[in-house]
Amino acid sequence: MPIFRFVFQRLLQAILVTVAVTLFVSFAIRLTGDPAIMLAGDSSGVTEDDLARIREALGLNQPFLVQYWDFMKTLVTLDFGESFFRGSVRDLIAIALPSTLLLALASMAVSIMISLPLGIHSALHKGGISDQIIRVLSLVGLSFPNFWLGIMLVLLFSITFPILPASGFATGQSLILPATTIGIILTATNVRLVRTQMLETLSAQYVMVARAKGLSEASVIYKHALRNAAISIITFLGLQFGNLIGGLVIIELVFNWPGMGTLSIEAISQRDYPLLQATVSILAIMIVAVNLAVDLVYGLIDPRIRVA
Amino acid sequence: MTTSSDQASPILSVRDMIVEFGVSDAAVRAVDSLSFDLHANKTLAIVGESGSGKSISSLALLGLLKHIGGKITSGSIAFQSSLLGKTIDLVQAPEPVLRKIRGNEIAMIFQEPMTSLNPVFTIGSQMGETLAVHQNLNKKDTRTKALEFLDLVRLPNAKRLLDNFPHQLSGGMRQRVMIAMALCCQPKILIADEPTTALDVTIQAQILHIIRELQAEMGTSVIFISHDMGVVSEMADDVLVMKASKFVETGTVRDVLGAPKEAYTRALLAAVPKIGSMTGTSAPQLFDIPGVTGDAQVSAIAPVAAPESVPVLEVEDLTTRYDIRGGFLNKITHRVHAAEKVSFKIYPGETLALVGESGSGKSTVGKTIQQLVEPVSGAMRYHGRDIFSLPSAERKAFQKQTQYVFQDPYGSMNPRKSVGESLVEPAWVHGLVTNKVQARDMAADLLEKVDLPADYATRYPHQFSGGQRQRLCIARALACDPSLIIADEAVSALDVSVQAQVVNLMMELQAKQNLSYLFITHDMAVVERISHRVAVMYLGQIVEIGSRQQIFENPQHPYTKRLLAAVPVLDPGHRPTRAPLEGEIPSALRAVGDEPEPIVLKQISEGHFVGHAQQ
Repeated sequence: MPIFRFVFQRLLQAILVTVAVTLFVSFAIRLTGDPAIMLAGDSSGVTEDDLARIREALGLNQPFLVQYWDFMKTLVTLDFGESFFRGSVRDLIAIALPSTLLLALASMAVSIMISLPLGIHSALHKGGISDQIIRVLSLVGLSFPNFWLGIMLVLLFSITFPILPASGFATGQSLILPATTIGIILTATNVRLVRTQMLETLSAQYVMVARAKGLSEASVIYKHALRNAAISIITFLGLQFGNLIGGLVIIELVFNWPGMGTLSIEAISQRDYPLLQATVSILAIMIVAVNLAVDLVYGLIDPRIRVA
Repeated sequence: MTTSSDQASPILSVRDMIVEFGVSDAAVRAVDSLSFDLHANKTLAIVGESGSGKSISSLALLGLLKHIGGKITSGSIAFQSSLLGKTIDLVQAPEPVLRKIRGNEIAMIFQEPMTSLNPVFTIGSQMGETLAVHQNLNKKDTRTKALEFLDLVRLPNAKRLLDNFPHQLSGGMRQRVMIAMALCCQPKILIADEPTTALDVTIQAQILHIIRELQAEMGTSVIFISHDMGVVSEMADDVLVMKASKFVETGTVRDVLGAPKEAYTRALLAAVPKIGSMTGTSAPQLFDIPGVTGDAQVSAIAPVAAPESVPVLEVEDLTTRYDIRGGFLNKITHRVHAAEKVSFKIYPGETLALVGESGSGKSTVGKTIQQLVEPVSGAMRYHGRDIFSLPSAERKAFQKQTQYVFQDPYGSMNPRKSVGESLVEPAWVHGLVTNKVQARDMAADLLEKVDLPADYATRYPHQFSGGQRQRLCIARALACDPSLIIADEAVSALDVSVQAQVVNLMMELQAKQNLSYLFITHDMAVVERISHRVAVMYLGQIVEIGSRQQIFENPQHPYTKRLLAAVPVLDPGHRPTRAPLEGEIPSALRAVGDEPEPIVLKQISEGHFVGHAQQ
């Protein structure tokens, strides 16, 4: 039963990661300021007693570990508790998480649609003019910051030619600009990955054998070579997806996208401990889960791993 | 079957073929003006060393050169295609026509069975593909047909194999699958590019037998590309010799191997170790390489050292196992019994050959002696002192005294260090040189010992050929002035002429410095040349040990006999008729608690020990 042991080990790992991350975040945010002062506002009439009452109401007078324990209980029950300012954390996440996942998936799809054909083309014409152009472009893509590309696209398609919404999430059209921005950024890396993996498999002997069998070039490239290259490509894309979920913060801000990144930033600025702890924990769990899924999918494609 | 084919027109006729790599003005000629004819139902062997252009020629026939950056720049390849009902020029033929011929009328088997099959598709799907493309069969019929050909190459459990993935098969089985796949459209020509080079000698015998039988059955013509003269002698009707992209000579196998006209062919043949060529002699003997005279003072190498002297190394009941873990608690479930109670002695100035096939544990023994692997039990005495009981500092001193030469001359030198630095590195580690002047002198001295110019010290490994690199590895091993060198398949990757030179060098060094060698190899013919005594390993245990003469002239253990019988003999005209033993080499992997039955060695004559044959 190696597969069960494997999943079991990974679940254990996920729990450890979550505990470590939440512990660190919960501790760190308490160093940055007092939510009681934020909640009380600027009014000059607030006394030290008032603040103490607010702290008691929020449970902030408890020792840190007790507060942390209370939070962990809400995490396990998937209740997530109450935000200091905005009601149920679960309701907030129920909106933000799907938005983030949607944006991440759409971005990955854009990137795969561009990088797969370009990467394969580049590998097949290694050293040719088109290969050189693709490689230079991908280097350029790697070099500029992602928010800059986002702002440029907004200027072009929402201001100069007002055909797409610049921000927010109202219709399907809202998805186009942010997904394209991230998609292009990811493509810069992915095109290189696809190219390298294809070059490696194309030089493998079984590819020459496939040609010697009289198969068509299409069958040689898309069946024999790509299927093998896909093993590493999918692994990498999976890890990329995990990183993406956590790394969307800046792009979500640029496009005012109502996702987990935006929610986390708001929680930080308001010292909303329960909300921040919940968003960070969920992101950490998602990343571990995606990694686990990648490992399992890997076994499906590669028979050498499947048959233990 | 002798010269009847001269009248009939050849089914494949290559004329003045030139193959070039790279762009026009900087093009490199890989094949320069090659011409040959292949007749129906005949085997033409193309022989040559690495870089001779023999493999390039085979890809050229299939029109596959463009995928490795080469092209045929002139010449013609006339092929009598039954499919098209006419003779066509494969050089001019458009890609769709070539695609119809590839795998259908001209099929190919490649050198490396381990990498020839696509790891992510089942055997059945990979065979079915060929059949579907060329014979328009439906899924069910391709399966039946694939099964039929897997049976033909005598693969057991063919039905189950169809759904297996390549990694579940051994190298020999994979090469059978490749043969089945190549033959399943009943091609007129089969190109076999070094089909057995990567296989063990007993498996090689099986594969060669299958190719011979199926060729006779199906009337296929074979182009057999090889560097191994013994194999060529057993397989070929006609032979074509190539050297450095050029044609050297051609003729019937009897003429070329029996009475070669060209000096190169003669040199090549002289370098081939011929098993049985040393019958009656007791001491090792240098290869006689025409045009190269060995060191005069070592023309005679000392016979087996006097047994009364203290052995350099005495290994007693050495047992090394690798644990295999599994299960929920990661417990040890199985063990690879790589070496079981191995005992032998090596005397000063003596070469002990440790022979066996893959998985026999011969390399594990070498690694254990070099302390790269920890043994489970056993003792190792170096000049009478027990190594394992020594403190670690003194063990290090022992490591200095035994040096290792690896199989792969390309992988075993740091490409970023100059040769001089690499050579002296072990001497720095063991404190034998303490400043740069000493190091430089030592590097020059070491290079001289292996017959390389001293100024090579400033060069880098990529500037050397495989044979030169192996000389460098030997030079590095000599840096600490060792008394024992463990040579693990040290000459197996080299071309025969280079191999002969390196083996001669090793013997000369032995005579000059009274070195002892533990020579680990699968190649019985080289063993016959170089060794004083031979130990035969099978499944982790020594089954027979004795002097070279005793093992080669009077083998007793069935496995030793089988190993010797499987070696191809360079004797043109001689065709092995009896089928080799079937079956795979068993595995030394055993469940915990299931200990192998120890083999008891019995002395049958002075120094000749034979293990009890197991049923």
